[in-house]
Amino acid sequence: MSARGLLCLGLLASGCASIQKERGHAEVAALVEERLGRKTRWNQGTPEDAEVARHLDTLLMEDLTSDRAVEVALLNNPSLQSTYEDLGVSQADMVQAGLISNPSLSGSIGFPIAGVGVSEHEFSLVQEFMDIFTLPLRKRVATEQFMADTLRVAHEALATAAEVRKTYSEVQARQQLVELRRMVLTAAEAAADLATRQREAGNITELDLASERASAEEARLDLAQEELSLVEDREHLNRLLGLWGPRTQWKVSEQLPALPSQEASLERLESLAIRQRLDIDAARKQASLLWNALELARSTRYFGRVEVGVHTHRDADGPRLFGPTLTLELPIFDQRQALIAKLEAQHRQGERRLMELSINARSEVRAARARLLSLRMMAERYQRVVLPLREKVVEQAQLQYNGMQLGLYALLAAKREQVEAYRSYIEAVRDYWMARAELERLVGGRLPGQTTQPSPPETQPDHGQPRDGGTETPHEHGPQ
Amino acid sequence: MLATAGATLAGGALLLRGATAQAQSDVPGARKPREGSAADTGRRYARQDWQAPGVPGRDYRPVVVPNGTKLPWKAVDGVKVFHLVAEEVEHEFAPGLKAFCWGYNGQVHGPTIEVVEGDRVRFYVTNRLPAATTVHWHGILLPNGMDGVGGLNQKAIAPGETFRYEFTVRQSGMGMYHSHHDEMTQMALGMAGLFVIHPRRPVGPRIDRDFAILLHEWRIDVGTRRPNPNEMTDFNVLTMNAKAFPGTEPLVVRKGERVRIRLGNLSATDHHPIHLHGYQFRITETDGGRLAESAQWPETTVLVPVGSTRTIEFVADEPGDWAMHCHMTHHLMNQMGHEFPNMIGVKPGGLDAKVRTLLPGYMTMGQTGMGEMVDMGMAVPANSIPMMGGKGKHDTITMGGMFTVLKVRERLDGYGDPGWYENPPGTLAVAASTDELRRDGIDVSTTPAAEPGSPDGTRRG
Repeated sequence: MSARGLLCLGLLASGCASIQKERGHAEVAALVEERLGRKTRWNQGTPEDAEVARHLDTLLMEDLTSDRAVEVALLNNPSLQSTYEDLGVSQADMVQAGLISNPSLSGSIGFPIAGVGVSEHEFSLVQEFMDIFTLPLRKRVATEQFMADTLRVAHEALATAAEVRKTYSEVQARQQLVELRRMVLTAAEAAADLATRQREAGNITELDLASERASAEEARLDLAQEELSLVEDREHLNRLLGLWGPRTQWKVSEQLPALPSQEASLERLESLAIRQRLDIDAARKQASLLWNALELARSTRYFGRVEVGVHTHRDADGPRLFGPTLTLELPIFDQRQALIAKLEAQHRQGERRLMELSINARSEVRAARARLLSLRMMAERYQRVVLPLREKVVEQAQLQYNGMQLGLYALLAAKREQVEAYRSYIEAVRDYWMARAELERLVGGRLPGQTTQPSPPETQPDHGQPRDGGTETPHEHGPQ
Repeated sequence: MLATAGATLAGGALLLRGATAQAQSDVPGARKPREGSAADTGRRYARQDWQAPGVPGRDYRPVVVPNGTKLPWKAVDGVKVFHLVAEEVEHEFAPGLKAFCWGYNGQVHGPTIEVVEGDRVRFYVTNRLPAATTVHWHGILLPNGMDGVGGLNQKAIAPGETFRYEFTVRQSGMGMYHSHHDEMTQMALGMAGLFVIHPRRPVGPRIDRDFAILLHEWRIDVGTRRPNPNEMTDFNVLTMNAKAFPGTEPLVVRKGERVRIRLGNLSATDHHPIHLHGYQFRITETDGGRLAESAQWPETTVLVPVGSTRTIEFVADEPGDWAMHCHMTHHLMNQMGHEFPNMIGVKPGGLDAKVRTLLPGYMTMGQTGMGEMVDMGMAVPANSIPMMGGKGKHDTITMGGMFTVLKVRERLDGYGDPGWYENPPGTLAVAASTDELRRDGIDVSTTPAAEPGSPDGTRRG
C-alpha cells in the first residue's frame, strides 16, 4: 500500500475521531427553541455555568411566570440534565462507528535451538480491509442513531416543559383557592361570632352555638388542608425547576389567565402532531436506521473478514522477503442470515412502533382537545352564567336581609355558596390550562394561533364596593 | 234528564216571575224564615214571598266600604240582577306590593253586595278563571241548590261558563260570599266579598255611618307577585278590605254620629280580635242576626272568628284619630320575616366590620327590635313592603297589616280623609319638663320601689 493510501486512511479515521462536547445539545436546543421559544442548556461544569446560575437567580428574583418557569426548568431540571448526558453516550457511539479498526502489527523471531544458523524473524502489518467499504454506511447508521437520541432528548425537554406549565397552573390556582378558603373561614367565623353574641344575649341554645362554632372550626381545617396543598404544589414545581435553598422563595403573583378567545381546529392539531412531535420523528429515524443497518448487513453478507497487509520475512539462511498478505474469511457457514433476520424483524418492529405512535398521537390529541373544549365550556358557563347568578343570589339575599326576611346566617350561607362557585370556576380554569399544556405536549409544541397571554379573568368573588342603600338592579358581572 | 229534574225540584219556582211566582210558596222553606231560626227576627210580613227591590236612600242608608267597591244591579221585573265575573286581578295591597290575585269584576276582594231583606236577587256568575269555580253565599238562607258548594249543591262553573243563582233574601244582617270550589286555593287567592242585607224596616237606633270591612290573610313572600295558596298557617299579609296598612283608608265620622262597623272574617285560619281605641262599643249583630239588647255586652275588642261576621255600634263622641286594629301582634305586621334570628340584646361589637369584608352592605339589625328598620331606608326586594310603618302625624306608626284609623271630627267637608287630628292644647302626651319632674318629686335616675301588694301597704309621697 502506498504512502498516499495510508494518509488517506489516516484522514478518514481522524475525521470522526474527535468528540465535540456540545454536539447534539445544540440540536436539542434548536429543536426546543423552535417549539417553545426558550433555550435549553447543558451544564457541564464550564465557566459559563456560573453565568447561567446568575441568569437563573435573575429569573427567580422576578415574579415567576409560566414562561419563566419553563426557562428555569430547561436550564436547571436535574432529570433533564442527566438526560442530556445520553447525548454524550450516543455521540461516543457515533464516533466509535466512524473509527476504522486499528491495523495489527505482528512479528515473530525464531532462534535456532542448536546454535547453528541465525535467527529468523517475520513482521507483518495487517489492516482489516472491509471496514473501508462499510464505514460510510456504518457511520450513517450511527449518525441516525445519534439523531434519534437527540430527538428523544429534545422530546424529554418538551415533556418537562409541559409538566412545568401544568404544575405552574396548579400553584397559581392553589393560591387563589387558599384565598377563597380564607373567605369561607371569614364567613364561618362571622357566623360563629354572631352565634356567640346571640348566646350572650340569651337568644339561642348552646346546641346552635356549638354547631356554628363547629362549622367555623371545620372551615379552619379546610383552609389548613388547602394551605398544605399549596406547599405540596410549590414543592412539586421546585423539583421540576431543580431548586433548593434560597432559590425556592420565588413568588407567583399573577392570577390564572383568562381563556384564549378561540381554539385551533382539530384537523390542524392532528397533522401538527404528526409533523412536529419529536418522539414520532425519533421513531421514524429509528425505523430508517434499522433499514440502513439491514442494508449494511445484506450488502456484506457474502463478505467475510478481509485482511490486507504487508509482511516481511527473513529465513535463517534465505533472503529477506517482503510482500502483501491477504486473508479472506469464507462465508460458507455464517452468511449473516441470523443477523439479517434479526434486523428485518427489528425494522418491522420499528415501523409498527412508528405506526402505533402515530395512531396514538392522533387519538391522544383528539382526547386532549375534547377535554380542553369541555373544560372551556365549563369555565365559560361558570363565568357567564353561574357566577353572575351566585352574585345575584348574594345581592338578593342582602335585600332580603335588609327587609328582615333572612338573618345573617342565611346571608353568609349565600356568600359561602358564591365563594364555592368561584372555587369550582377556578378549578375549571386551572384544569383548562393544564389540559392545554398537555395538548401542547401532545402536538409537540405550542398551539397554533397563540399570541400573547390574555389578561387575567376575574377569579375572586366581588368583595364589592360598599353599596349605599343598594339597588335592586343586579350588577353586570364584569372585570373589576 | 238531570236538567229537567233540577229545574223541577230546585229552580222550577225560580224560573217563574211575577204573579206565577206565587207558586214558589209551595217550595218548602222558601217562603219565610224557619220558625225559631236565627234569621227569624220575629217580624212577619203580610207577603212572605219577595218584595219590590229595596232602594238606597229610601229603604236603607248605604254602607261605606273603605278601599272597596259595590256590586251594581238593575231591577228586571222586580228582581235585582247582578253580574259577577270571576277573574284574575292584579291587586295592590299597599303602596309597593302588588300581586296577581283572583277576584270578581276586577276587584279584590269582590265588590260588596248590598241588598234589602225581601229582595229577590239573581246573580249571573261568569267564570273567566283558568279553573272551575262556584259562589257560596255565606250565611245567607236560601234553597239548597243555590248554596254553591261545588259537587255537593251544583256542578262547578267551568272556565268560560256563566251560571245563574237566584233566591229571595229572607233575613237581615251581614253575610259574605266566596268561592266554594277548591276553596283553599281560591279563597287564598282572594275570591271573597261582603254581602250586606239591610232590614226592610229600620231596626234599632238610626245609624249615621255604616262601615263594612272584610278581614283576610295571605301569604305573599317578599319579592313574589302571587299569594301562595299552599300556605296553611304562616300568613304574612293581613288585610282589611284587602288592604294592609299603610294602604288602608281611614273610617271618617263626624262627631256625635252613631257608627256601625260590620266585620267579616274570611281568613284561612286566624281569628281576629279587633280592638277599637277611644270607645266602648256593643256587638249588635253576629252572622246569625241581631242580638237581643240584653245580650249586647260593652266591649273594646270584638273577636271575629274565621268564617263569621260581627257588627259593632257606638256613638263617636270623642274626636281624634283612633286606632282600630287586630290585637294579634303579628297581624300588625306586613310580610314578616319569620326566618330572622332573634337579635334582641345582641351587641354587634366588631361583627359589622368582619362581615363587611365579605358583604360591604351589611349592618347588624334588630338588636332593639324591628321598629328601627322602618326608618333605615335600606333597599329591600322588589315588590315588597316594609314589615311595619306608615307615616303618622307625630312619628312613624310602627304597625302594618290589619290596622286602620277611625277619624272622628267636629266638622267635616264630605267624608274624604280629613288629615291628622289637631290635639287641643294640653291633651297631647309630651316629654316631661325638668320643672315638672322636680315639682312632682320624680327622680328619673332611680327606679321607684315597688310596694308590697298587701292591703295595709302605705302610700308614700
